[in-house]
Amino acid sequence: MKRRYAIGFLTIATLAIFWFLATGPLALISPGRFPSPPDVWASLKQVSTKGYANGLLYQHVLHSLKLVALGFVVAIGTGVPLGLLMGWSRRAEAIINPVFSIIRPIPPLAWIPLAILWLGLGDAAKVMVIWFAAFVPSVINSFTGVRRIEPYVIEAARMLGTPRWRFVREVLIPAAAPLIFTGMRLSLQASWTTLVAAELVGALYGLGRILNVAQQDIYPGMIFVGMACVAILGWATTRLLAEVETRSLPWIQMARA
Amino acid sequence: MAVITFEGVRKSFGHNGGGFLALEKIDLTIADKEFVAIVGPSGCGKTTCMRMVAGFEFPTAGTVNVDGHRVTGPGPNRAVVFQQFALFPWKTVSENIALGLRNKGVEKLEREKRVHQAVELMGLEGYEGAFPHQLSGGMQQRVAIARAYVLEPDVLLMDEPFGALDAQTRTTMQEELVRIARRNPRTVLFITHAVEEAVYLADRVVIMTRRPGRIKEVIDIRSVRTAEKWDKYERIEDVMDLESFVHWRTHIWRSLREEKSGQDR
Ligand SMILES: Nc1ncnc2c1ncn2[C@@H]1O[C@H](COP(=O)(O)OP(=O)(O)OP(=O)(O)O)[C@@H](O)[C@H]1O
Ligand SMILES: [Mg+2]
Repeated sequence: MKRRYAIGFLTIATLAIFWFLATGPLALISPGRFPSPPDVWASLKQVSTKGYANGLLYQHVLHSLKLVALGFVVAIGTGVPLGLLMGWSRRAEAIINPVFSIIRPIPPLAWIPLAILWLGLGDAAKVMVIWFAAFVPSVINSFTGVRRIEPYVIEAARMLGTPRWRFVREVLIPAAAPLIFTGMRLSLQASWTTLVAAELVGALYGLGRILNVAQQDIYPGMIFVGMACVAILGWATTRLLAEVETRSLPWIQMARA
Repeated sequence: MAVITFEGVRKSFGHNGGGFLALEKIDLTIADKEFVAIVGPSGCGKTTCMRMVAGFEFPTAGTVNVDGHRVTGPGPNRAVVFQQFALFPWKTVSENIALGLRNKGVEKLEREKRVHQAVELMGLEGYEGAFPHQLSGGMQQRVAIARAYVLEPDVLLMDEPFGALDAQTRTTMQEELVRIARRNPRTVLFITHAVEEAVYLADRVVIMTRRPGRIKEVIDIRSVRTAEKWDKYERIEDVMDLESFVHWRTHIWRSLREEKSGQDR
């Protein structure tokens, strides 16, 4: 394991050195196309202290983070229960599935124009688009999670006389939990993708806004800062979710150990 | 009280019950507190019989009654030990055992006491906080048995409950089951492939034919056991040496072999 980390670290270090040399002393890449490390550093300093595209870096970050959190929570808050319901009740599936099948093939980003038309350039439009995009994987995976429950586990719960709500809380949800979490992870990724896309198209603040303005200003260093922020935030929120998963499913960790 | 009756039961699976025939002409009455073992070739419908008493499956024709009431669904008065354990992987050993008592509304102190007793009875001390995946197959099976026992059900339905156990544990569990059954008898429907186990444990052994399953023969072991005083021996191997035991064991073996060879043809 340690060896793996060492090799990974070496690869990254090599790339970083190459980046430094190619954009600096060796002048292999024009700074107008690809920023040098000092360019990126200067851009970072500028957006953090003086501000860029209507705000300071932390304001943009908080704004994007807030929208992702909102969209994600709304998406899983509706998607997971809907998926569970469709998994459990054949009737609910029969009713909902046709609607779902019509909406599903529409790429989530195709909702952006309509969302802006309805709700303007503000937050509501973005939350709506994130919701539409992030909702789908949560529904599908929760649904599959329920359908894959071993029938005799359900029979055991019935034999023990488990009342309905206790059954949902203590049998249905834990049994489907691994796939529910898979769905949430995909939903989280979809939330970030959609947010950045929506902010690129039209926003007053946010990381997508930084990217958009930096592109118009032909400012590669700032584009780089924006991309790096999205990557770091995406990684951090995914890690956070993985941590929640580990803590919520102790029996699975035990089984692996 | 718990009397189980099968009356003219037929069961087929598939298109509206018109598909393939699994059981036919099953007529059987299991008396209150009687221990009945079912043996038969694989796929002859033993599990299906049990599932109809449990309320997971319903006869295509005929009736299955418990205490004169037609079975309409599962309930904790008929506890099941499943062939595949069917434990809840996300619950610890004691949580698995306690769920049925919680559902019955047994209050906490009483519940803990009874779970503890069940844990002791099944030799699971020290594993109360373990998850099923951390246990061996044999221990998981014992949890499944404890989960059924703790309900103090009128009827115990056991589907090859000792199938996953190693020979030593199996013997201990068989002796234990006999001890429990004599001390605190219940109506038991016990499915097994092991003929010796059936003869050792049961009051009556039901032999089934190959598919579609019918009742081929019902053997009254209890009267033999009483007449030959099997109960004065504590160890299973001592009972298994008795002439009367060997006689009936061989008889059932032959009967089963007939069915199996018929199947091969
Ligand atoms: N839900 C079902 N749908 C269709 N066929 C079924 C179903 N349940 C059981 N069967 C069939 O009915 C027959 C009897 O099954 P059952 O499980 O009762 O046999 P069994 O005697 O318990 O076998 P084993 O000793 O292998 O456990 C089998 O051929 C099986 O394939
Ligand atoms: Mg079976």
